[in-house]
Amino acid sequence: MKTQKWLIRFGLVSSVTILFYACSQEDITDNAPPEPLSQLNESGPPDLSGIWQAVNTASWNLEGHTASKMPVTTILGALGGIPAGLSVVEGGAIPYLPDALAQREANRSDWTNLDPVAKCYIPGVPRSTYMPWPFQILQTDTEIFVAYEFGSNSRTIFMDRPGTEAPLPSWMGYSLGRWEGGSLVVNVTKQVPDTWLDASGNYHGPNLVVEERYTLINENHIQYEATIDDPDVYSRPWKITMPLYRRIENNARLLEYKCVEFGEDLLYDHLRKDYDGPKALDGSLREEL
Amino acid sequence: MKRIVSLLLSLFFACLILPSQGDVPMTKWGKPSLQGNWDFRTVTPFQRPASFADKEFLTEEEIEEFEAAVIAGREARASADFDGEYDQQDLDVGYNQFYLDQGTTMTTTRRTSQLIYPENGRMPGMTERGRETAAYFRALQSRSPEGPEDRNLYDRCILGFNAGPPMRSGAYNNIMKLVQTEGHVAIMVEMVNDHRIIPTEDGGSDLPGDMRLWKGDSRGHWDGDTFVVNTKNFTHLSRFSGTGQDMVLTERFTRLDENRLEYMWTVEDLEMFEDKFTAVVEMQLTEDDVYEYACHEANYAMPLMLSGARKQEASGEEDDTWLPSWSR
Repeated sequence: MKTQKWLIRFGLVSSVTILFYACSQEDITDNAPPEPLSQLNESGPPDLSGIWQAVNTASWNLEGHTASKMPVTTILGALGGIPAGLSVVEGGAIPYLPDALAQREANRSDWTNLDPVAKCYIPGVPRSTYMPWPFQILQTDTEIFVAYEFGSNSRTIFMDRPGTEAPLPSWMGYSLGRWEGGSLVVNVTKQVPDTWLDASGNYHGPNLVVEERYTLINENHIQYEATIDDPDVYSRPWKITMPLYRRIENNARLLEYKCVEFGEDLLYDHLRKDYDGPKALDGSLREEL
Repeated sequence: MKRIVSLLLSLFFACLILPSQGDVPMTKWGKPSLQGNWDFRTVTPFQRPASFADKEFLTEEEIEEFEAAVIAGREARASADFDGEYDQQDLDVGYNQFYLDQGTTMTTTRRTSQLIYPENGRMPGMTERGRETAAYFRALQSRSPEGPEDRNLYDRCILGFNAGPPMRSGAYNNIMKLVQTEGHVAIMVEMVNDHRIIPTEDGGSDLPGDMRLWKGDSRGHWDGDTFVVNTKNFTHLSRFSGTGQDMVLTERFTRLDENRLEYMWTVEDLEMFEDKFTAVVEMQLTEDDVYEYACHEANYAMPLMLSGARKQEASGEEDDTWLPSWSR
């Protein structure tokens, strides 16, 4: 009898303990976005205006990665390494089709020559969001202007033309926005296939569709999600998630990072007068001389 | 009696010319709305042509005459026969009428020039320092380029040839997007896919003198119904019409009515010019979109220019004809 009582007590205590831990675990591992701020105060669409920045290493590699060398470590030493980071991809890995995965590996093996952002080309969406430079949102009823410090690039999210299509492909694509509850949802289409998703060869094709979701979870944080779909490259749509942080300094502002002058070194060094170094990029022009 | 009639007539004409406040769209926070896509194409000359002498304004008939002459000139250029021989002048016509988009009408100020100060509608003289600096860049850009830095900022896709700041009608892509919130105004000129974010009030302390930006550092404030933007801290390479890094730019944006935005700007740079200069145009609201002008991404000209220059060197050829035709 005593044993039975002990077992019942043990069972009750265990159940409570398990329940407690289960609830605790759910709190810790729950990936669902927190409740949007506007749903809390029911004051209509939130104002996303402000200067924002991602603080992670997704621009180096969306998937998990350890720290590694870059070609410039011989010049910059410890300043020239790639920092480690956990994956921002739901499930950890990007679901490439087999041939596409081989292409990603080929991109990665010749990254410094092939990454369009190294040449200062427009990064596209979503890469522009998590580059290590801030961006500024100016929100109006009819359009939301997003200005990026990198390259002084920008894009317009049209809020007043649902169902329209891009007149032509572009590096930043065509962005149509709508409010869903407290979230700004942006459908981005018609991006040229020349952009990459990070500096590790992760890429897409011409049929890329990105659905972004910006949810203001408190005054200074946006939960950013992007669902990425391209049936020519991936076996299914996949999602990245990360917080964006408001730059709260009193004097926070976008400055210029006109990267053309830096990209020129990579693009044209081999075409400079008296150039005597290794052939960069398309060395064939040099061979013709 | 004559005085009263004269006064009434003056009031009548003033009403015709001045927009009523009711015509100006307003923001929720009580300022005139400047938002929209604005077309700043015009055939109004930047400087007053000598033929207009002291004439500041044109009549409707004179405007029609001027616009017709511009169009006739373009048609003549477009239909000129090519005789099979070529010279530098032919090579300079890199863009034909298909590409050029300078508009067909004068700006609605009815003025003979965009420049309104100095009063003669002509650029002020350059200082000795200004002439020396201009000569240096002219010589640099005349020779075959040793690297991309030898070419101008437009060839390099760093600045747009009509984007300034200040904006000024050029060969094509004369359109800008203006987005307005209570705290900031964004100006994005299609040429070359670049933007300025301008605080509308306290923009914080000035940037230190050693922080230089290609487009300068812009701060805004409202002067009544006019949005005023002061810009300084330019780089020494920004060079709007020969200015130096100490140029100070003041732009004034005034919404005149539903469709017109007056854009007046003044440049002061007494190191390079003997006097300040001021211009005014009236931009037109347009339903056209501002497209992404991915200049650097498609800058096939730069590697071709550089490889051409290296070929010239390899063959021992000296060439001082590299100055762009539009800056000769």
